[in-house]
Amino acid sequence: MASRAKTSQRLVGFGLYAYLALTLFFPVAIVLLWAFYDPAVGWFPPDIVPRSLSLSAWREVLADRNILPAAGLSLVVSVVVTAVTGALAFPTAWALAQFPFRLKRLVEIFILAPVIVPGIVVAISLGEIFFRLGLTGTVFGVILVQIVGTLPFMIRILTATLEGIPAELIHAARTLGASPTVAVTRIALPLAWPGFAAGGLLTFIASFEEFEKSFMVGAPKVRTLAVQLWSYLGGEVLILPTAAVVTLILLTPMLVIFILAERLSKDDVMAAGLGKL
Amino acid sequence: MDASLSIRQLTKQFEGHRALKGIDLEIPAGRLLVLLGPSGCGKTTLLRSISGITDPTSGEIWLKDRRIDAVPPEKRNFGLVFQTYALFPHMTVEKNVAFGLEMRRIAKPEITARVKAALELVGLDQHAARLPKQLSGGQQQRVALARAIVIEPDVLLFDEPLSNLDAKLRDSLREDLRALQLKLGITSIYVTHDQSEAMALGDEIVVMADGEIVERGTPIDLYRRPIYRFTAEFLGMTNVIEAQVYGDVAKLPWGEARRIENPATQNVEGVAIRPEDLGIEPVDADGHGTITQSVFMGASIHYWIAAAGKTLRAVTTGGSAPILPNGQRVRLVPPPSLHLLRAHKAGGRP
Amino acid sequence: MKRGIGPLALLVLLLPGVGYLLVFFGIPLVRVIYGSFVSRTGAGFSLDTWVSLFANPVYMDGLRYSLWLAVAPTVASLVIAIPLSALMQANETSRNVFGTLYKIPLVVPGIVAGFLVLIILDRGGMLSRILQPLGIPMPRLVRDDLGVGAIIASAWKNIPFMTLIIAGAMAAINKDVLHAARTLGAGRLTVLLRIQLPLAQPGITAAVLLTFIGSVGSYVIPSLLGPSYPKPLSILMFEQGFQAGNWPLVYAMGTLLSVVAIVVLLAYYAIIGSLGRQKPVGT
Repeated sequence: MASRAKTSQRLVGFGLYAYLALTLFFPVAIVLLWAFYDPAVGWFPPDIVPRSLSLSAWREVLADRNILPAAGLSLVVSVVVTAVTGALAFPTAWALAQFPFRLKRLVEIFILAPVIVPGIVVAISLGEIFFRLGLTGTVFGVILVQIVGTLPFMIRILTATLEGIPAELIHAARTLGASPTVAVTRIALPLAWPGFAAGGLLTFIASFEEFEKSFMVGAPKVRTLAVQLWSYLGGEVLILPTAAVVTLILLTPMLVIFILAERLSKDDVMAAGLGKL
Repeated sequence: MDASLSIRQLTKQFEGHRALKGIDLEIPAGRLLVLLGPSGCGKTTLLRSISGITDPTSGEIWLKDRRIDAVPPEKRNFGLVFQTYALFPHMTVEKNVAFGLEMRRIAKPEITARVKAALELVGLDQHAARLPKQLSGGQQQRVALARAIVIEPDVLLFDEPLSNLDAKLRDSLREDLRALQLKLGITSIYVTHDQSEAMALGDEIVVMADGEIVERGTPIDLYRRPIYRFTAEFLGMTNVIEAQVYGDVAKLPWGEARRIENPATQNVEGVAIRPEDLGIEPVDADGHGTITQSVFMGASIHYWIAAAGKTLRAVTTGGSAPILPNGQRVRLVPPPSLHLLRAHKAGGRP
Repeated sequence: MKRGIGPLALLVLLLPGVGYLLVFFGIPLVRVIYGSFVSRTGAGFSLDTWVSLFANPVYMDGLRYSLWLAVAPTVASLVIAIPLSALMQANETSRNVFGTLYKIPLVVPGIVAGFLVLIILDRGGMLSRILQPLGIPMPRLVRDDLGVGAIIASAWKNIPFMTLIIAGAMAAINKDVLHAARTLGAGRLTVLLRIQLPLAQPGITAAVLLTFIGSVGSYVIPSLLGPSYPKPLSILMFEQGFQAGNWPLVYAMGTLLSVVAIVVLLAYYAIIGSLGRQKPVGT
């Protein structure tokens, strides 16, 4: 009967949203409370909710000499990293998607290697090498080291996108009289660009939030926003309200971009990009 | 066991689409009923509602004197055979067939015996240890059949089980299915869109369109004396001819008149003449129409005839008769009595 | 329409991407491995560093702790990802809003995950404030010996990743197979255990191994939330490198972590290779 199905559907929906409430809404709510509590009154146990709210943490953050420059730096670095990663990745992805060749499997495994080898190993070893080369504490060094992390994923996302275009479509266009250029621009590109856009957005997010490599190479002179956040959490003293505000500044645009990227890509492209082997 | 099914006012509403619009159906115990109709007519939705996989929006389903529409599928004791076979790929043939018995917590020795018997019934006892992927499509469907009957179900439900098989295999498996159903005497419902399959199989056929039942009857009744145009055009080929009706006599467009065997006044769509009932005689001059095309099919010859402003189809037996050429004038010989067709609010074109 | 291509043209295409990785990943990796076989005095090939690594309980505890901090979150995530994936199969509306929301931890950096655990699970955090009036004592979850807080933060980040893969594997199962099991008498739980999980197996294995590999070198979360002893190899690497300058030891630890990851990866390929000889899901 209809009601039996409806109740079981509702139960499942309830279960799923209860999971979300616990793991997402609840933590976010607490971050918001920390970002908006009133330091003059304080927020100490046993208070579950702060007694009064204020914007003072935001004012402090905006006044802090380090934070806005860090945000700006993150923005610039991420844009550059995304652009360069895309430019480096595309020819490789094109070769992998279009042409069979011997050693292809070897190339694929090599591209996967930076994902398998623990990131900390890459970060620390590059940190030491760049130190000897005088590249630590430079924006250039941070960009170079981040690309090592973003390049494998971008190659895999672009390859998966290109492979997702059925070769028959290009073939059909050619038999209908389209030149190779037209076949690419009118057929392949419109089909590929959502995957490319998703890849670009995900790379931007990965770069903006990247910590370990940027920390090992950049700190303390060059600080991305993520590294700046570390200074409020990893030191002797925890500065929770500032950390909360910086978290919100860091995450909000990332979530918007992520939702956009998610709408643009199919799940299997995302899975390929995120490391499904 | 008297496992008669009764379906009362069953409806199913999907978002923005009414798949079933109030189905009333009685299926006597032990009979094979075929649900026939074009895709989208609701036959599969109806079958899945009966099996419990889909929950109907409203209505009742009764098994003899027990109401079952609120009973979850695992407790209904119905056997299902699917178009895609749906064997468990990670289990052997034996384990596949044993699964339903395991769910019923039957003792191991009895399971072994019954599985063996079921596999022998479908001729696959030699393959008990194989995996489904090692079997052909026909063999997989036989395993699915064994799996469905070994649990001694009250009702057997078939969801287009032969559609994935090639033509010759389809025929032989269809015969086996029917023989098995008759032998075991299990109430069965069989869904198909293939009208020749429906006619070969069913004790009775229920023709469906647009979520409704159009007509129900034996294959002969539905073929020779359909009430509705939809049924006539869905089951085999037919010519639907506008005729002038005077009481119980109909006058055909080329002049001949005949008695009507089923006079009616409302919603009349025309007169049905099956191509095999339309005689054609070559004439040198005059006549009723001209042959425009012919196709030699071996056992029969199909003709297209332009007559009275329409194209009619006629079929004659092959044998050694000469094939009439295009352009040949012919005289049309209708059958002794004519059959009227009515319009049904549901079915559009078949 | 896959034509061949001349080797020179192929090289040109592959050069930017593969070349970059060769220079900025391949060379450092080789240097790491090579550098671990040099002693602290720098006098040619030596196993001293490796000997001191394996002999020193700090580093062996560190290795064990790195493995613990990879295994525990993987198991915890699996325990949640499987029911979550199963529920998502049952509910079609999970496709839209829920389908996007549950993936959010994928784009939350580890440092923020650590921050969330701090404000909820630390002493004085939200959970202790909620439990206190109820009189329930809270165990220590941050900077505790077992690293529970670190495990929770890691698991929180890994659950969407695992769910993405496992739900995808389950969705690939022919629905009729599940319906057949139901009509044969199996309840929903039996269908999950006897049909869905076995048929989603390659996906589950992939998810487990990838999660493990991704967690074995984590730095930020143990750094924020972990105890002061033992420290996982990732943190020891940082300390020995940038604070003590004992680079051969750092390279040895790095090589060790990489070897662990590669061994697990080979195990993965071996398992899916043997599973691949069986049938993929569906009919």
